[in-house]
Amino acid sequence: MEAQPKPILAVSDVRRDYGGLKAVDGASFSAMQGRITGLIGPNGAGKSTLIGIIGGQIKPNAGSITFDGRDITGLAPHKIAGRGMVRTFQLSAEFTKLTVLENLLVAAPDQKGESLLGAELSRLYWGRNEAANVDAARDVLDRFEMTPKEDELAGNLSGGQKRLLEIMRALMTKPTMLLLDEPFAGVNPTLARQIEQYLLDLRDEGLSMIMVEHELAVVERLCEPVVVMAQGKVISEGSMRDVSARKEVLDAYLVG
Amino acid sequence: MTDAMQFYISTLLIYLFIDIMGVLGLNLQFGVAGIINFAYIVFVGVGAYTAAVVSLGPDYPGNFQHYMFGASWPFPLPILAGGVAAGLLSLVVGVISLRRLRSDYQAMVMLVLSLIATLVASNATGLVNGPAGLATIPQPLYDQLGLNPLEYQWVYAGWCLFLTVLVFLFVRAITRSPLGRTLRAMRDNERAASAVGKNVTLLRLVIFVVGGVIAGISGAVFAEFIQAWSPGSWLYPETFVFLAAVLVGGAANNWGVILGTLLVPVGFLEATRFLPPIFYQGFIEAMQWVCVGLLILLFLWFRPNGIFPEKPGRFKPRATAQSRPAE
Repeated sequence: MEAQPKPILAVSDVRRDYGGLKAVDGASFSAMQGRITGLIGPNGAGKSTLIGIIGGQIKPNAGSITFDGRDITGLAPHKIAGRGMVRTFQLSAEFTKLTVLENLLVAAPDQKGESLLGAELSRLYWGRNEAANVDAARDVLDRFEMTPKEDELAGNLSGGQKRLLEIMRALMTKPTMLLLDEPFAGVNPTLARQIEQYLLDLRDEGLSMIMVEHELAVVERLCEPVVVMAQGKVISEGSMRDVSARKEVLDAYLVG
Repeated sequence: MTDAMQFYISTLLIYLFIDIMGVLGLNLQFGVAGIINFAYIVFVGVGAYTAAVVSLGPDYPGNFQHYMFGASWPFPLPILAGGVAAGLLSLVVGVISLRRLRSDYQAMVMLVLSLIATLVASNATGLVNGPAGLATIPQPLYDQLGLNPLEYQWVYAGWCLFLTVLVFLFVRAITRSPLGRTLRAMRDNERAASAVGKNVTLLRLVIFVVGGVIAGISGAVFAEFIQAWSPGSWLYPETFVFLAAVLVGGAANNWGVILGTLLVPVGFLEATRFLPPIFYQGFIEAMQWVCVGLLILLFLWFRPNGIFPEKPGRFKPRATAQSRPAE
């Protein structure tokens, strides 16, 4: 018998308005451990705002977010990342003048040479820690077949490679959950299929994810369950097959 | 070599070393960490004033100049005090302006700070003697060393070289370390850096203070050399000379900005000193500012990464595939 999935993230009645506009208007849902939860909805539904609130980039006006049994509402992004939840962005967010390998190394947690004192104590102090991080980063590069690009400046990568880089960089933090904001936007179909497979592999290894995505075919292949948002509210939750048949979802997509 | 020539060359070297220190500090803030500090010269100025007042001796009624905190601290305390004072001011300014504002607004705040600081120093005459500034700042160890002025100049040049090498090594330890890499990452994309767990507010603040301390030390060493310091010595355009050095040499490249210092504040501004006076008194000086501005524009347009562009980190290739434990 299949084990009952445990909720890892609970979003409860979250609200955020900008002046009179209610971008997120009492949204609640939960995401399960080891699942890719799809977050879909028409443009302006509040998906990206909600992802921003979960990731700490945007402060909610009300509501609460519990991650891994602890309240993370309103925490700064770096603290949320420290708890094991890392997000990627809708627009490419690579460190342009750093190489691919350096991009990954930045994300390594608890680096000895990252404090002022540590840096001044020189390579004698942080060298071994750095070597271990370089090894870990190269393992990630190998896995995603990006080793040949190791010394390329991240700004010179193709759009698709930048998205992949962002996922690799997030993995360097050893996260328990990824928040992916349209990870396939601007990615060519071949690479997109490859990234899909990578995400499924990561899921099978136990990584939880929330994914905002417009391409419903992709959502159907990857996400279970799916959360549908419209006008700042969660209007439906369930498997893609279920929600796509529901009247309120069809209405939202047609009207929205 | 004639004494006059030796005087000139030693003075030029002292200026060069002090400017290199200042530019290295600004490069750390701007080139590496992406903080647009248009008030950099204020921190140089604070270091200079601090070193001045703690070495001028207590103020007394009837003194030809008036200032606060007068003391006669021995060498090298005034220089350290200059660094500490500039660092403390950086901390205060940083806590207020670097936390929540977007970087373009931070730049505006810094520019305004620079203007306000000049006005305060000029108008609060009891603070550091107003627009006339401070004079007769004692040169460190001048009496104790018992050298003639020319010999002293060379010793001072050596002292400045020593300090510059220290600052260079200190800064290079940062830029070559994981900290330097994280700072460059923050500069390239702050949101992404915080999303992978970097406390960008703290990082910015740390590097703002470190740069401020370096600025303060360079100001202190400068004021002790020229023995005078007034609001006219640190007007806001001076920051742009430093900035031009960073942009011309190559932001986030320590050797690049040293070359930039050689070219802009020293070479460019010094060479024009020998031009024959044309049009009217002060024309050349006025044109210098125009040229510094043009230089910044030209480099941003045609060679935005400077003469020596930033070098990304290179890593030794993995030893061999066999060296990893088999799984």
